[in-house]
Amino acid sequence: MSVVDDEDATLRERLADEPVPALRVLAVVAVLVAVEFGALANLVMSLPWDAVGAALPGFLQGAAATIAGVGDGLAGLPTLLSRSVIDNAGYQLPSGEWVGTFMGLSPAAAWLLRVALIYAYGFVWLLVGWWSYLVYRDNYRHADWAPVDDMVGRFRNHSWGLFGLAIIFAFVVLAVFAPALGPTTVDANIADPYLHSIEYYSEETGGVEEIYVGDANGESQSRGQGGENVGPMQYDQYDRFHPFGTLPSGKDLFTFMAAGARVSLFIGVASLVLAGGAAVVFALATAYYKGLVDLGIVIASDSIQALPQLLVIMLASFVLSGTWLANLYNGGVVLALLFGLTGWPGLWRAVRGPALQVSEREWIDAAKSFGQRPSVTMRKHMLPYVVGYLLIYASLTLGGVIIGVAGLSFLGLGINAPTPEWGRAVSAGQPYVATPSWHISLLPGILIVIVVTGFNALGDGIRDAIDPQSDVETGQQDQTAAAGGGA
Amino acid sequence: MSRPGPERTATGLAGLDCDPGETLLSVRDLRTYYESGDLIGGQPVKAVDGVSFDVKKGETLGIVGESGCGKTTLGRTLVRLEAATGGEVRVGDDDVTQLSGEDLQAWRRNAQVVFQDPESSLNDRMTVGEIVREPLDVHDWGTPAERRARVRSLLEKVGLQEEHYYRYPHQFSGGQRQRVGIARALALEPEFVVLDEPVSALDVSVQAQILNLLMDLQEELGLTYLFIAHDLSVVEHICDRVAVMYLGNVMELGPTEELFEDPANPYTRALLSAVPEPDPTAEIDRMTLRGTPPSPRDPPQGCPFSTRCPVKIRPEGFEDVDDETWEAIEVFRETLRARSRAERSLSEQAREFLGFETRFATVDEVVEELFADRELPGSIREPVDRATDLARDGDEAPALDHLREELGSVCDHEPPAAHGVDATARESRCHRHDDEYEEPAAVGPSVGDAE
Amino acid sequence: MVADSSRSDAGTAAEPADDRLLEVENLQTVFHTERETIRAVDGISFGIAEGETLGLVGESGSGKSVTARSIMGLVDSPGELLPDSSIRFDGRELTGLSETQYESVRGGGVAMVFQDPLSTLNPVYTVGNQIEEALSLHRGLSGLEATEKAIELLEDVGIPDAARRVSEYPHEFSGGMRQRAVIAMALACDPDLLICDEPTTALDVTIQAQILELLADLQEEHGLSILFITHDMGVIAEVCDRVAVMYAGEVVEQAPVVELFENPRHPYTRGLLRSIPSTQRGADRLETIEGEVPTPNAPATDCRFAPRCPEAFDACREVHPEPVPVATETADADADHTAACLLYPEDETREQAVDRHAIEDAPPGAGAVDSGGESR
Repeated sequence: MSVVDDEDATLRERLADEPVPALRVLAVVAVLVAVEFGALANLVMSLPWDAVGAALPGFLQGAAATIAGVGDGLAGLPTLLSRSVIDNAGYQLPSGEWVGTFMGLSPAAAWLLRVALIYAYGFVWLLVGWWSYLVYRDNYRHADWAPVDDMVGRFRNHSWGLFGLAIIFAFVVLAVFAPALGPTTVDANIADPYLHSIEYYSEETGGVEEIYVGDANGESQSRGQGGENVGPMQYDQYDRFHPFGTLPSGKDLFTFMAAGARVSLFIGVASLVLAGGAAVVFALATAYYKGLVDLGIVIASDSIQALPQLLVIMLASFVLSGTWLANLYNGGVVLALLFGLTGWPGLWRAVRGPALQVSEREWIDAAKSFGQRPSVTMRKHMLPYVVGYLLIYASLTLGGVIIGVAGLSFLGLGINAPTPEWGRAVSAGQPYVATPSWHISLLPGILIVIVVTGFNALGDGIRDAIDPQSDVETGQQDQTAAAGGGA
Repeated sequence: MSRPGPERTATGLAGLDCDPGETLLSVRDLRTYYESGDLIGGQPVKAVDGVSFDVKKGETLGIVGESGCGKTTLGRTLVRLEAATGGEVRVGDDDVTQLSGEDLQAWRRNAQVVFQDPESSLNDRMTVGEIVREPLDVHDWGTPAERRARVRSLLEKVGLQEEHYYRYPHQFSGGQRQRVGIARALALEPEFVVLDEPVSALDVSVQAQILNLLMDLQEELGLTYLFIAHDLSVVEHICDRVAVMYLGNVMELGPTEELFEDPANPYTRALLSAVPEPDPTAEIDRMTLRGTPPSPRDPPQGCPFSTRCPVKIRPEGFEDVDDETWEAIEVFRETLRARSRAERSLSEQAREFLGFETRFATVDEVVEELFADRELPGSIREPVDRATDLARDGDEAPALDHLREELGSVCDHEPPAAHGVDATARESRCHRHDDEYEEPAAVGPSVGDAE
Repeated sequence: MVADSSRSDAGTAAEPADDRLLEVENLQTVFHTERETIRAVDGISFGIAEGETLGLVGESGSGKSVTARSIMGLVDSPGELLPDSSIRFDGRELTGLSETQYESVRGGGVAMVFQDPLSTLNPVYTVGNQIEEALSLHRGLSGLEATEKAIELLEDVGIPDAARRVSEYPHEFSGGMRQRAVIAMALACDPDLLICDEPTTALDVTIQAQILELLADLQEEHGLSILFITHDMGVIAEVCDRVAVMYAGEVVEQAPVVELFENPRHPYTRGLLRSIPSTQRGADRLETIEGEVPTPNAPATDCRFAPRCPEAFDACREVHPEPVPVATETADADADHTAACLLYPEDETREQAVDRHAIEDAPPGAGAVDSGGESR
């Protein structure tokens, strides 16, 4: 049991009683935040505050402007893992010396170093998360054992689930740190190439020249035949390093992919939050009230499921393409909404069974009998049993959404150009699959397969972890069976 | 609306504050029907079908009966887990079945349930402390610290340790989990507790512990119990009065001792005689009942027990028919009843329609077997033949009606009224208590503790 | 595990008799889990004579159902029978038989009736189909012949209108009727021994009375031996000739039924009988056995009942008791009454009794446990 003697103490009192372990965790977290503070502030400032500011009454706008100023200032703070600290952009002099890169390393080495550091940083966060769970469990939790301990234990022994977790971890880091991970930025390389320029060493003039990125891109296209190809892990003629090669337009594929991961993750998560939320609310309502409520939702969901999902989404995104809605997050919001609205019946079907099952348990009757409110009964006594199933099915569905978005973008619907999206890369590379520029379609394609597999594996792992029955024949079951009680 | 706290005394419902021995609950003609699952048509399940009794403050009223007799539904209706279809449950001037708002909350605070299955009645993602505390949270009882203190004292009261507060239900045995369930039911200091088969999932030795605990708590807290059980020996031990239910009706109701010593109703007699005595030398004089209880969707028109009653009254003019023949007629009726209840698949309906043979076409064999070597008087032969003809065509219901018309007695036609038995306030529903018939005890074998 | 090999000669009291149909000796069934090995049945011995009904009574977790499954060869991984176990049926050793060999035992000699008839019957086949399947497997009947036999069997077990019922599905049967159908299936293979695992626990008393009556009739008619497993002392009193009381995987007392009820010797049996409400009419409080049934997960080195036993003394926590004859003066002289408790034999001093148990229990070569006295 915990060190705290007074079992009555709230969590806060327990923390005050024994602050050292918590402070240790807090210190590590603070350090982790500090090294990336600028990036965090940047992220905060990149949200559409202008819209919020405009909505505020006049006298507050001044204050908001001040805060915005401070925020921008903070966003300007240097961060450890930004590209400006470990820069991979530069040019090579004939002597072989690199100019402008981090400590004169080659761009490839500098980039790899940065990638390694960023992943290490992400991994440290993961460890800190695990560590703080352990600290909480060992120092601050009242119960010396909780069902979640067994779940964590089962997940830790689930290699397929752990594999999924690793993949998803890599994917999420890719999405979160996209601006810092790419060898260049979306702004400079993809969105506004003619507003940015780079320096390079020209053999013709024998000196350092400047060129618009757009022009440079034009010289580094990957078009399969005729030598026009910048493949994976190659430099182009302007000494730019392309880990995944370039697109047919000469833009950097890795930067494109990293930014696309953000879009995919956003659409996937947003649509599943929407669909999952609706599914859970409906499932709890049907299970608790049954009867007509159930019937109504069954009919609604059956009607939606009778429609071919992808066709409806294509139709709707085409219809909506001209409206303001289509411009939010470059069309990502529309896709998230559409996938959410058409996706909930599937999830609802999946969690309705478990919800009905748990609604038959006597503790629901017990809660009713002492007058617990229906909403609380659903939240406290039913939701915890349903949410596990939801996580599984959601993680299984997420892969489908990513494929769906990629498919739509492949067809030219979905995410507006030039915003990066994986499906568009596959689409752009399609003519070159059988040429030296095979990487354009293949690398994004393989990544999609890996990520979808990863989500499925993670879903499997969570399912097996939360299901005590999967703890095949281990003590728990036999114990209770043997320990007596049931006649 | 002052929040109830540790010093709370008033119950919130005037009728609940009566003195021990006075009537706490008065149930009158209570009915609870479940609608059938079918969207159109379909008979409702008459789980509780017109039940009347009083519960006195501080007593333990036992409800016994076989599964499906409606005893659990009755308990659930009293605590408003099911909506009553008709009748009333009076507490003072209030009708529990009609309460709403504040009054309903007050009733919920004062009427609690202990459930049968300790595996299912505790949410196993909550700690024991949270489980017992939940009713206190719902009714905003005292301050959080007072609530925790109350949970602690409750755990101790039901024989658990304080440190069990932060354990999960998995970590307990069945008996301990049932103690947690009892602690939860007592959290709000209720007046009335429905114990729905609280010990039937437990082993005997654990069962005895829980029964002792329940009796101690009743004495200490002045609780009123409605004890629902199918185990007669448990009921005999713990209850002051017992109501015996069959098919949604209370067949007999009276003080435990008298009822067990000298059961008046034929059903009570059959039930008591069916209980195996833990004494291998005991003489068994058993009234084994035929068949199974009828469906509560379609209860018999007369006495609910008339389809299985071993001392059913014969109609006039048939008193001299020999017992075996009469038994054969009852079996024939039971068979037809079972057939009328059997579901016919679509293909069977089609076969019947087209005149092909179905499994229902075997009625002649049944009749043959039952009546072949018996000499039937014409007054019996005629209705049996007619019924056989009808049943052969798949019309069991008219066949049954015909048999009831021709061969049915008062037991088949009229539901019996409650008759006072003994000098005590015992009542039993049986036509045999009418002066014109012999008492059930005079007809059947002797049953009961006093032999 | 060390003590296992020594326990085979433990059944001094349960002399194997030649005329017994079933002879179980030192049966040990264990279940392996990640954390521990649960010794669900831990070295029990008993026998059933032809036409006899032996009751196996105990609380849940005492190992009575596992005993039944062990005899039926239905113990699957992660469970196993330890090598010293012996189950002889009709003179044939059953332990170590292959699955196909066991098929013939289950079809020919031993049949089982489970607690829950609904899970025994397959919901997608008619009752008739399932009985006919058993008939074709065990008696080679098929077609019309099998159907007629199935109807006959259903009539035998008291199902009215059997000709119609034979083509109905299990869900169309009521609980009692289902159990009758299950018994009919068991009878289809014409068994000599019927193992009934809590056959009436799920049924109402009036239905239970019908089923018990039926079993008694069938036993008389077919000369069946019955192993009747239940936790209900009332049922035991009614149907059994002899009774074995199980506690935590062991048989703690074994006696003819009247002797057991009139003269229970083991403190557990006494407690069990006393905690039944109907044995204590008029008593204000029920006597209880405090505590819970333990899960046996290691070879016993003490009395497993000692922590709950009102009569326990120091040696009970150090010496594992063996069954010893405890028949009293009043009882039939050759009443086969044994109890595994250090209080017995009663005619010896406590030290002598403890030593006797210690010697019988100890592995050969190892010194007997010092039993808290000057005995050694």
